[in-house]
Amino acid sequence: MKSTGTLSVTNVSKKFRVNNNEIHVLDNINLSVKAGEFISIIGLSGCGKTTLLRLIVGLESDYEGDILLDGRKLNGPSLDRGIVFQDHRLFPWLTVEKNIGLGIVGKSDTEKKEIVNNHIELVGLKGFEKSYPYQLSGGMSQRAAIARSLVNQPEILLLDEPLGALDALTRMYMHKELERIWKKENITMIMVTHDVEEALYLSDKIVVMSARPGKLQKIIPVPLARPRDRASVEFAEMKEKVLEEFMLHTEPHFTYTI
Amino acid sequence: MNTKGETQVKTILIGFIVPVLLVIGLEIICKLEIFPSQIVVAPHKVLITFFDLISTGELLEHLRISMYRVLTGFVLGATLGFIFGTVMALSPRSERIIAPLLSALSQVPLFGWIPLLMLWFGIGETFKVVFIAFGAFFPMLINTFEGIHGVPRSYLEVARAFEFSSAKLLHKVLLPAALPSLFTGIKLALGMSWMLVVGAELVAAGEGVGYLIVWGRQLFQMDIVFVGIAVVGSIGYLMFLTLNALEVSLISWHRPLSKK
Repeated sequence: MKSTGTLSVTNVSKKFRVNNNEIHVLDNINLSVKAGEFISIIGLSGCGKTTLLRLIVGLESDYEGDILLDGRKLNGPSLDRGIVFQDHRLFPWLTVEKNIGLGIVGKSDTEKKEIVNNHIELVGLKGFEKSYPYQLSGGMSQRAAIARSLVNQPEILLLDEPLGALDALTRMYMHKELERIWKKENITMIMVTHDVEEALYLSDKIVVMSARPGKLQKIIPVPLARPRDRASVEFAEMKEKVLEEFMLHTEPHFTYTI
Repeated sequence: MNTKGETQVKTILIGFIVPVLLVIGLEIICKLEIFPSQIVVAPHKVLITFFDLISTGELLEHLRISMYRVLTGFVLGATLGFIFGTVMALSPRSERIIAPLLSALSQVPLFGWIPLLMLWFGIGETFKVVFIAFGAFFPMLINTFEGIHGVPRSYLEVARAFEFSSAKLLHKVLLPAALPSLFTGIKLALGMSWMLVVGAELVAAGEGVGYLIVWGRQLFQMDIVFVGIAVVGSIGYLMFLTLNALEVSLISWHRPLSKK
């Protein structure tokens, strides 16, 4: 177990100002993440889950409360936090290996090459080193993006709906891959998603958020053994449990809307 | 590959149909003596004059001089345009300071500057180079600015997340992302330079292709005028083709247009 990669979010609130209107995006969020944990943040669109992730990455600032990584307060983006965006955001003018190598700092060329090769192997892109992003499928692009995010050995990896744009089968395949990478790298991962099954398959804990203002509704631990079986009864029961959180929220008691 | 090569040859040949028909038509009109021969010259006579001018070395000397003017003016103007465009795109404050002036200046038709430039720089080489640089400056400025300014925010966030230095951001993200736009700027700037060199030489010069045209008119030798026009057009077109080829080879990752 690594000792680094713990995250604590305490009383975090965030407001945006739009045309003199104050919009409360996050309201008093408290969350603590242990080293090496896989956490999913799940919620409806507009619940502020992506904003929370962006706060942790450091791409958004100006918030109330504290976010501490291994006890240190965050100050803008840093290489100790990797990020994978929903759109892969590979640079189209660079090959896969150059995209992955671009983020590496303070290493000699030979070290760089080795790191890049290792990570290409880690995400299963051997043979595509010289390909350009337009030559890759969605799943492959996202693999490259994951490799890129890991090259500086961050303590924590943040994933913003990383598989949201993939088709259902590729996505299930990528779940397995993500779990394998997570285990191999022994790294803390926080993933934003709106896919309950995805969250259940991967997470140690699921954080359910509610919208307007974004609040932490519930933290659901997922004590299922890995690798998880989507068809098992336990899995189905857990899924019911998570879905219940949304039923209560989306539909008032005993009324139906058509 | 073979069929692809064949269709390529076909697409190139198709572009020759109209010019060839025009030449044949002109030849017929001249044969019928509809217009006086001082006004419309038969294409075969133009061709003969063309080879005459080549064999005496006259035409190439005119071209060499014009080319030199174009290149110096283009390099000067495009470089300045690139620098100003980059600075304006990177610093909103500098944009607010210089953009209004530059937009106003760019509204003045380029030939409107000639009297002023002549007063300042005379009618020698400096005048022509400055005039051409003027023309190359604005298209390069605008396209550099648009290119860098339009780099998607999402790329900038990647650069922030990976803690890129400003130099690395410019070199590895902004300039490559802006490359298609920079190329548009270069093409427009070079095309403009070529137009302006002829313009400047029409106004004041003792040599150059533009001068060749004026000289032909003064001697009432329309064949020389036509040679001048044809050479200017062909060279301009060749420049355009060369730049296009260079663009395709440099920006192979930029697929949206070529992918089909």
